[in-house]
Amino acid sequence: MPSELLKGFRLLDLTDEKGALCGKMFADLGAEVIKVEPPGGCSTRRIPPYLDDQSDPDHCLYSLAYHAGKKSVTANLGTADGRALVADLAAQSDFLVESYALGYLDSIALGYDTLAKKNPRLIYASITPFGDTGPGKDYNWADIITWAAGGMMYLMGEEGKPPLQMSLPQAGFHAGAEASVAMMLAHYPRQLDGLGQRIVVNMQACIVWTLMNEQAMPFLHGNHLSRTGVFVGSADARRKMVYECKDGHISILVAGGTMFGSSTKALIDWMNESGFGSDWMHTKDWVSWVPGVFMKMTAQDYKEIDDLETTIQRFLLTMTKREIYAHGLKRRIFLAPVATAADIAADEQLKARDFWTQVPHDTLGRTLTFPGPYAKLSATPIGSITRAPRIGEHNDEIYRGLLGLAPDRIAKLRAAGAI
Amino acid sequence: MSLFALEGVHVLDFAWVGVGPITTKYFADNGADVIRIESAARPDVLRIGPPWKDAMPGINRSQFFASFNTSKKSITLDLGKPKARDLARRLVPWADIVVESFTPKAMRMWGLDYENLRELRPDLIMLSTCMQGQTGPNALYPGFGQLMAALSGFYYISGYGPGSCTPPYGAYTDFIAPRFSAFTLLAALDYRRRTGKGQYLDMAQYEAAMQNLAPALIDYHATGRVLGPRGNASDRYAPHGAYRCADEDGNERWIAIAVADDEQWRAMLTALGAKSADPHFVNASARIENAEALDQFVGSLTRARTTQELTAKLQAAGVAAYPVENCVDIHQDDNLDAFGFWHWLEHKEMGPSPYEGLEHRMSRTPGTLRAAAPILGQDNDEIFRGMLKLSPEEIEQLKKENVIF
Repeated sequence: MPSELLKGFRLLDLTDEKGALCGKMFADLGAEVIKVEPPGGCSTRRIPPYLDDQSDPDHCLYSLAYHAGKKSVTANLGTADGRALVADLAAQSDFLVESYALGYLDSIALGYDTLAKKNPRLIYASITPFGDTGPGKDYNWADIITWAAGGMMYLMGEEGKPPLQMSLPQAGFHAGAEASVAMMLAHYPRQLDGLGQRIVVNMQACIVWTLMNEQAMPFLHGNHLSRTGVFVGSADARRKMVYECKDGHISILVAGGTMFGSSTKALIDWMNESGFGSDWMHTKDWVSWVPGVFMKMTAQDYKEIDDLETTIQRFLLTMTKREIYAHGLKRRIFLAPVATAADIAADEQLKARDFWTQVPHDTLGRTLTFPGPYAKLSATPIGSITRAPRIGEHNDEIYRGLLGLAPDRIAKLRAAGAI
Repeated sequence: MSLFALEGVHVLDFAWVGVGPITTKYFADNGADVIRIESAARPDVLRIGPPWKDAMPGINRSQFFASFNTSKKSITLDLGKPKARDLARRLVPWADIVVESFTPKAMRMWGLDYENLRELRPDLIMLSTCMQGQTGPNALYPGFGQLMAALSGFYYISGYGPGSCTPPYGAYTDFIAPRFSAFTLLAALDYRRRTGKGQYLDMAQYEAAMQNLAPALIDYHATGRVLGPRGNASDRYAPHGAYRCADEDGNERWIAIAVADDEQWRAMLTALGAKSADPHFVNASARIENAEALDQFVGSLTRARTTQELTAKLQAAGVAAYPVENCVDIHQDDNLDAFGFWHWLEHKEMGPSPYEGLEHRMSRTPGTLRAAAPILGQDNDEIFRGMLKLSPEEIEQLKKENVIF
C-alpha cells in the first residue's frame, strides 16, 4: 500500500523526463496519479537502457522506475477530442504538472488560465529549462544542457579533459522533486481559501542550488574552483577526496579541527597499528590543525598534507572497499566506499531497515526489486507500490469511471485516434 | 491572502549542516516562523565553512551557512545543560513541526526525541534526518553529503570510464534529500489538519538519495548489470558532451551540445557552415557507435568560436546547446537574471551578500527570501522574553551560566 498521506487527491501528470519523479512522489504518498501520454507513449517510454536490452516500452528501466504507482491514459493532444478529455480530467484534479515546450498547452486551451476558470482549485506546475521570461525560455533541451547551465558540469572532471555529466542524468530529478515541493506549498493556502495557482519551476536554478557553497566564492574570496579531479577545495585548502583501494575507490575527508580532527587521528592510529605512517603524524595535534581555515598554509603544511595523502594511498591499496568501510564504521572515521550498485545491493544497513521493495510485474512475468521509500512515516507509512502502467492501461477505468463516458463513446474516440 | 503560503506555521529547528536546514528554509522563505536552536558550544559546522566575508573566517561570516538559513530566527541554547533542555521543551507546544539532524543518539540522550516531545504536543510532526536512518547497524554513521554521495552510488557513475572517479562537487546528496523531506512534511501538515494526527518521519539521506538512481538499482537487482562511469557518452544523443570553444580572457571555455536525431545533426552542420561525408557519422546509430571520433570532429567545429556565438546559432537551428558555466557566469546569466534568481541581502555582519533565490515561482503566494541568515543568537531576547516570558534578569543569569549560549 502507498502511504495514506495524500489519499483522495488527484494529480494529472503531463511531464516527460523533466518531471517524471514528481508524480512518483505523489503516488508514493497515496495520491491518484494519472499519467497522460500520447497514443504510442510518451518519450520517457523509450529512454535506454532497457531491462535485458529488450528495447520496448515494457522493458524501459526509466519508465519502470518513475511511472510506478501511476495510472496511464492516452490522449492525442493534436485532436479536439483528445484535448477535451484532458480538460475534463483537469476539471476533476487537484494538481497538474507538465513539462511541454513553453506555451504549447496554452496554445491548445490547456493552459493554466483556461483550466482554472473551470477549476479554480487547480494547482498547475510547469517545469521549464530556463524559466518563462528569459532569452532561453524556448531553448531546446537535453539533461546535459541543464547540468552545464547550472554550473555543476564545470566542476566535474579533470584538468585537460572535458567537463562531465553523470552516467545517469540528474537534472530532471531535481526539477521534478522541486515541483512536488512547490505544489505542496501551494496546497497549504488552498486548504484555507479553496484557490489554486500557477507554478513555474526553473531547472537551471535547481542545479545551481546543488553547488553548495561555491556560488559566492567569486565575490567573497575572489576566486572559484575549476575541475579538480579527485581533489576538492581551493588552492589554500586543497585535499584529496578519492583514493584507490584494492577493488575500487574510497572517499575520505581528511582534515583537522574539532569536527574532523578525531576522525583523522583515528585513521592515523589505524595506519600506525598496521605499520603505516610516520612519527610526525602520530604526534601532531590534529584538533588544533586547521590550515587554510584559521591559519595560512605554510610550506610545512603542504609537505605534511602531501606525505599524509601519499601514506593513506599506500595504506588503502592493501585492502578492499568492504574491509575499509567496516573499519571506518568501527573507528568512526569520515570515509565511505565509492559504492557500485552491487555494493549497495549487498549493504547490511539497507537490509536491516527493510529498504528494498518487491514489485511484481505481471507484464514481465517477474518481480523486480525497487529502492524502497525515502522515509519511514510512523502514522502513514509508504508501503509497496504498483508496477508502472502500460501505455493507456487505464483508459477504460479513467474515461469510463471518472469521466463517465459510455463504452461506445470510448470506442469511437479510439477509432478516431483521440486515445 | 498573504503573499506567503505558510504564514502561521511554526517550526522548531534543531538541525544543522545541510539537509535539515535546507528543509526548513523552504518553510521560512514561504512565511512560516522558523526558530533555529543553535549553540556556541557546538556551532553548526557550516558557520565556520567558507566562503567568508572578505575571506576572513568568523562565526557570523559564512555564506555557506547563510545560504541555507534565510528568513529564520536564531536562539542559542547549550542542550548539554538541563536548564537549556527545559527551555527548549517549553517551545515545543508552540511548534507544528520539529526538525533535527543529529546522529540518532543525541536527541534521545537529551530527552528531546519524538516520544518525549509528543507528550508536550500530541499532534506534533517531527522529522529526524541523518545519514543512514534512526535504526540499523550503521545508524550512528557520522558523515556529510560528500561521503553519502560516494556511499549511495553517485561517485561511481562520475568519471571518464572504468577506473576513473571524478566526483560531483560538494555534498551532492544534501541537495536531493531536502525536497523529499519538505514535500512530506507539508503533506503531513495537511494530513494533520484533516485527521488531527501528527507523526514521526525518519529520513535517511542515503535512502532519499537513491531515488535519483532507481533505474540503475532496479537493473542491477534484476540482471546484475552495474552502471559505471562512461564520460559524457549517451545511448540517445550523438553528439553529446562538452566541447572546447575559443578561450575568453585567457580562460578555457566549453559548450554542452546534445543532438537527438539526424535532422538536428544536419541542422547543426548547416548552422556551423560545416559538411560531413564521413560514413561513421551518417546516422544516429553510427554516430553513437563512433562517439569518440565524433567528439573530435565536433570539437574541431567549436574550437575557434565563442560559446555565445555557438549557443545562438545552434539553438536557432533547433539544437540543444548551452555554455558550461562557472560560478562567475551563473551570476551574469541572462536567464537566471530574467527569473530574478539572485538576491543581494543585507546581513548584520557581512553586509550585502549574494543569495540563491527560490527555484520556482508561485503566482499567488510567491514567497521570497525575507531576511538574510541570522547571526548566532540574534533572536534570544525576542524569544526568551517575548515568547517564554523570562525577565531580563533571568535571561542575564542564564547567559552567565552558559545555558543561553
